[in-house]
Amino acid sequence: MQDRAIIHLNVTDFAVAVERIQDSSLKRVPLIVAPARAARALVYDMSEEAYRDGVRKGMRLNLARKYCRQAQVVHPQPALYRRAMTALVKRVVHYTPLVEQGEEDGHLFLDVTGTHRLFGPAPDIAWRLRKQLLNDLGLDPVWSLASNKLVSKVASRIVRPFGEYIVGSGEEHSFLAPLPLAMLPGLKPEEMKILADFNLQRIGQLAKLSRQQLHVPFQKRSTYLYDASRGRDRTAVLPGRTGNARIVREHVFEEDTGTYSEIQSVLTMLVHETGRDLRNKKMLGRRIGVSLTYSDGKNIIRQATRKNGCDNDFLLRTLAFTALGRAWQRRVRIRRCILICDRLVPRPQQQTLFVMQTRREQQQEKIICAMDTVCNRFGNGTIYLG
Amino acid sequence: MFPLAVRSYYSLMRGSSSPASLCARAQKLGYTGLALTDYNSMAGLWPFLAACKKYGLRALVGAEISDPHSPATVICLVNHSIGYTNLCNLISRRKINEKFSLQREVIEHNAGLIFLIPSISLLHNLRKYNIELAADLGSRPTERSGKLRKWARANSVPAVATPGAVMAQQSEKDLFQLMQAIRTNSRLDEQQEENDDFPACLESPVIYQDRFAVWPEVLAATDTLAARCTFSGPDFGIVMPPWAGNEFGAADSLRKAAYRGACHRYGTDLSEAVVERLEHELRVIDSMGFSSYFLVVRDIVHQACIKADGGTTRICGRGSGAASLVAYCLEITNVCPVKHNLYFERFLNPGRSDPPDIDIDFSWDERDAILANVLKNHGRHAAMVSTIIRFQPRMAIRETAKAFGLPPGEVSRMSKRLGGIRGRSSEPLLSSLQKMPALKKEELADPWPEIVRLASGLIGIPRHMSVHPGGVIITPDPVSNYVPVEFAAKGVPIIQWDKDGAEEAGLVKIDLLGNRSLGVIRDCIASIENSGRCFDEEYWQPDEDLQTRQAVAAGKTMGCFYIESPAMRLLQKRAGSGDFEQLVLQSSIIRPAANEFVREYVRRLHGGHWQHLHPRLADVLDDTFGLMVYQEDVSRVAVALAGFSHARADGLRKVMSKKDKELRLKDYYREFDKGCAAKGVDEETREKLWQMMMSFDGYSFCKPHSASYARVSYQAAYLKTHFPAEFMAAVISNQGGYYSTFAYVSEAKRLGLHILHPCVNTSKRKWNGRGDDNSIRVGLMAIKGLSVDTINRILTCRKKNKFASSIDFWQRVQPQKDESRSLIQAGALDSLDTEKNRSRLFWELFQFRCLAKSQKSNPLFGIQLPPAPVLEPATPKELLRQEYQVLGFLCKGHPLLFYRNRLQNSTRACEFAQYIGRRVRFAGWLLSGKLVSTKTGEVMEFLTFEDETGLVETTFFPRVYRRHAPILATGRAYILQGIVEEEYGATTLTVENVKKL
Repeated sequence: MQDRAIIHLNVTDFAVAVERIQDSSLKRVPLIVAPARAARALVYDMSEEAYRDGVRKGMRLNLARKYCRQAQVVHPQPALYRRAMTALVKRVVHYTPLVEQGEEDGHLFLDVTGTHRLFGPAPDIAWRLRKQLLNDLGLDPVWSLASNKLVSKVASRIVRPFGEYIVGSGEEHSFLAPLPLAMLPGLKPEEMKILADFNLQRIGQLAKLSRQQLHVPFQKRSTYLYDASRGRDRTAVLPGRTGNARIVREHVFEEDTGTYSEIQSVLTMLVHETGRDLRNKKMLGRRIGVSLTYSDGKNIIRQATRKNGCDNDFLLRTLAFTALGRAWQRRVRIRRCILICDRLVPRPQQQTLFVMQTRREQQQEKIICAMDTVCNRFGNGTIYLG
Repeated sequence: MFPLAVRSYYSLMRGSSSPASLCARAQKLGYTGLALTDYNSMAGLWPFLAACKKYGLRALVGAEISDPHSPATVICLVNHSIGYTNLCNLISRRKINEKFSLQREVIEHNAGLIFLIPSISLLHNLRKYNIELAADLGSRPTERSGKLRKWARANSVPAVATPGAVMAQQSEKDLFQLMQAIRTNSRLDEQQEENDDFPACLESPVIYQDRFAVWPEVLAATDTLAARCTFSGPDFGIVMPPWAGNEFGAADSLRKAAYRGACHRYGTDLSEAVVERLEHELRVIDSMGFSSYFLVVRDIVHQACIKADGGTTRICGRGSGAASLVAYCLEITNVCPVKHNLYFERFLNPGRSDPPDIDIDFSWDERDAILANVLKNHGRHAAMVSTIIRFQPRMAIRETAKAFGLPPGEVSRMSKRLGGIRGRSSEPLLSSLQKMPALKKEELADPWPEIVRLASGLIGIPRHMSVHPGGVIITPDPVSNYVPVEFAAKGVPIIQWDKDGAEEAGLVKIDLLGNRSLGVIRDCIASIENSGRCFDEEYWQPDEDLQTRQAVAAGKTMGCFYIESPAMRLLQKRAGSGDFEQLVLQSSIIRPAANEFVREYVRRLHGGHWQHLHPRLADVLDDTFGLMVYQEDVSRVAVALAGFSHARADGLRKVMSKKDKELRLKDYYREFDKGCAAKGVDEETREKLWQMMMSFDGYSFCKPHSASYARVSYQAAYLKTHFPAEFMAAVISNQGGYYSTFAYVSEAKRLGLHILHPCVNTSKRKWNGRGDDNSIRVGLMAIKGLSVDTINRILTCRKKNKFASSIDFWQRVQPQKDESRSLIQAGALDSLDTEKNRSRLFWELFQFRCLAKSQKSNPLFGIQLPPAPVLEPATPKELLRQEYQVLGFLCKGHPLLFYRNRLQNSTRACEFAQYIGRRVRFAGWLLSGKLVSTKTGEVMEFLTFEDETGLVETTFFPRVYRRHAPILATGRAYILQGIVEEEYGATTLTVENVKKL
């Protein structure tokens, strides 16, 4: 079997990198991306200089400003980052259709196995890509090349924020062995605690344990740890965004909110966008999930389902409110709200012979149709349900 | 219209105004009276009656009773004294009986009560009984009240209007909504969204007249009903605990018991002084009718003292009661009032109208059983006094922030920084916070200013009822005939009045309190006796032991009851006397507003020149170097110089500890000034004397109390001096001292004791000191995360056989995973680990758990572990880190040793005496701190640090404190720079600069 060649591209501090392309004067100062107007804003992203001063993602902005007094703060522009990510992917797919991307975070996995005759050796592709991204977009990614996603990701972690690393096939074990266990992706905090109890500090020490031995403390997770500590990873590079087909819409509150009506109105807005998306794709959604991020960073997701799929904003909104009621159980403000519509099914092309809709549903459909027309003409956000 | 249904904040989160503000508002609006009907509560009765008296209003006593199984409520108004008893019983049943049925109870307890009912069905059901009813139409005519009025007219039942007010003014709406959010554990936004037009406030009579203009007969019926309620508050007189007397009567029995006790205390040949004083006290006690009280207290104490195992319970009778020779002879107290010249009139005097109270301390871990016994013996005739827990600034801010939806982590971070904030300041809360040095780096950004603004309205509002630390009342009739009774969270019955309310009502309270140091002394002596040494308590006179006196004089009293705080230890060092009389004085002179008198006392003690402010004070203040030290000195000076009666002087002493004293103090000042002037005291002296009296603001002690405490202090100091291992082990085991376990462990090491790691085969539950090899074995209780059940299992399993191996231990004890982890990290399994490798022990633990799980179905075979992989032992530094994490201290060494290589030029605590007046660098571990205010209101702090060689007391003056407060936290290492100062042999460090290590 042919050795795989997986390239991991990572534009470090993606939001900062995009902001600096947008405004070159920001290159000279430490940068924090956060909603500066809000009193209780959290850090969305930060530059390497700010990171070195102690600023971290999710930290309170006023605290971050104390850690890095000279930092400039810019307002996050998720739409811009989304566009930049799309541009990034557009340049990469030229080399391979097997490109896996994260959520606007500047991470890409490329499976370039077997493309030697077309584009030359894998390291050449990586070099070329880096140069192209630098020239076309002004983004300078870290890249690493290995035989699987896990090792290439660890390699990127070693060299970030700048540089490249190639782990040859068969060298995975020796590459990982001297590294601290914290470098291994996917280790949970409680697993780290157990490993510390055994006084295991490095990946190589973990790799000395047999599969049976690892089964003692880690049970089902022992297989992953056994393989990971030896640099084995058979997971495929999944094209497109990770996960199944679904529509995801997100809203980050500038200032965290505890008002139910405010969250309901945001959900209504997200529902309308999702509904439009469904209608454009001629799909129906059967499940709505509402994911809430509380002020302290804790997440919760709850769903509401329908037997028959729908793309009707009114029905979707009812589902979303049900999910919201299930999700918001803590007495804590909400920082971020994500609406996920999944279990998508194609809309039946053939119309039913008899009119099954009630008069009210027909009226609702007309309203939705009119709203879509307004939005198509004047842009998103022009009109929403009250 | 007479306002018949108004809730105060004693409805506990269902009303926002105090009875006083409701009364003030009612008077302003032109009402002639007010009915207070708190929700299932009469906790506000006495403040309400006092406020009505103050504002010239007619008081109607009542309550709103709810049904636990439905939303129904009824307003009950008392129209004569039988009704009051019934109302108390109704509320008690509502609070105690889970199967309470409103309708059934109203039928059973209706005599003397008028019920205002807003429900047609309930009115219909109750109509057939002979109950005084009225239809409650509420505060405005509505569709519902229209139907109710129609029904009332048809059935000849009066219909009345009620304001249903939950606050005095509409401006309290935000506060009320906040209270509902706190009560229902919801967010403030939800309350605001849901209850936009709620709640109701007390409106002007004109508004009600306008509203009910369509039904004029309703207002007339309201006033008629109010006029029928003639009950204006209970009057029980003084309610003494009943004494099951013998044929001699209480006075004779007390006399006999007192003389019998005197013979036991002093021998059969009683001195004239003793007899004279006994006779005087017995005369006063008899004339005031308190003989039975003494006998009941004696019975309680004596019953409590007899333990099931035949031993006796250690007690400490304290408070003003310790001034009574009768109490001493009855063995209620332990300090001789004749020997120590204790002032009986502080306890009882013929002019005193309020009941006396005797406080008795028991060991903290025996007190609950004693209380339970008293409550059991007296059944429904006994209950504990409650304490009304009110919102303090910190609690108010925390609860408001939660209602605002701020995450718990952020709330507790802020809350921890508010440690020094005081309530009842005239300054707005937000300004106080902004001035707090500890909050310097904590920006009070949105929404904190709004939170603080709302929270300031909560301060002083009752939050919930709790149990008084030890106050018990025993009554001739069931307690619920006098006051509503409910059960506290810990399961004891409590009355709905706090100690002030009980005193106002004339209910005599007996205080049975818990004291940790009595447990320390008990455990220490038991430990000495268990080791085979003899300890004769009968002839134990610790205050006459020279070594103990020297130790006290040197301030070596860390761990000793009441004299271990830094301020007390420094005072002992400066005083350098160490004798019992001075210790009594010192434990009283250390009080918040008396710093300058402490300094003056030390100067005079060391021979500094002084004279009495007035020659007439010679008899009063000779023992105290011309200074007022004890509470009773205030009364005695007022009697001697201003011609006050004993009762009036006692009133002046009492008013000083009250919260709303300003107005009343003005009257006393005028009287004092006039009285002194009449006796020829010049103005300057009068002013100085008054200022000295004002230093008793806040808390202060009477001499009998100080003497009782000093006796326990001396016992502790003796044990520490002669049996340090047993004593320090007992101090740590009983917990709750001034310092942390870490600090006591350091003190034990400084005393030359070896701290031995906990061990599953040798450690007991508590710490165990052994004087023969100068060691203390850490108790299993010190291991964080180890449950009481697991400790019990370890001790039980060990009794059969000692644990042979780690597998044997896990197999027999079956601890939880986290508990096993803590045991390993604490070193408690080291004795079972032949390879001295804790990493391997962890591996074995996991292997054991894995195999135990798979072999659960077949427990016949023992568990055999396969060989473990090669695991390197953790480094010594890592082992110490784990030990500190799980124990909170290090058995060997001090955490500062890790920093020693960075501290070449620093001075150690033991070297301070060589650097007096010089600037030093000192690396110290912060143990404790005490915030104080300067005369100008600035905040400063006295902090105690230690290194491996000793303790260092430091002073952070306001400027330095402001700069460094945000980085100061106990349990951390710092490098301090400052000047070493010395005063009467005590060295301190005045800090100039601090850095974290």
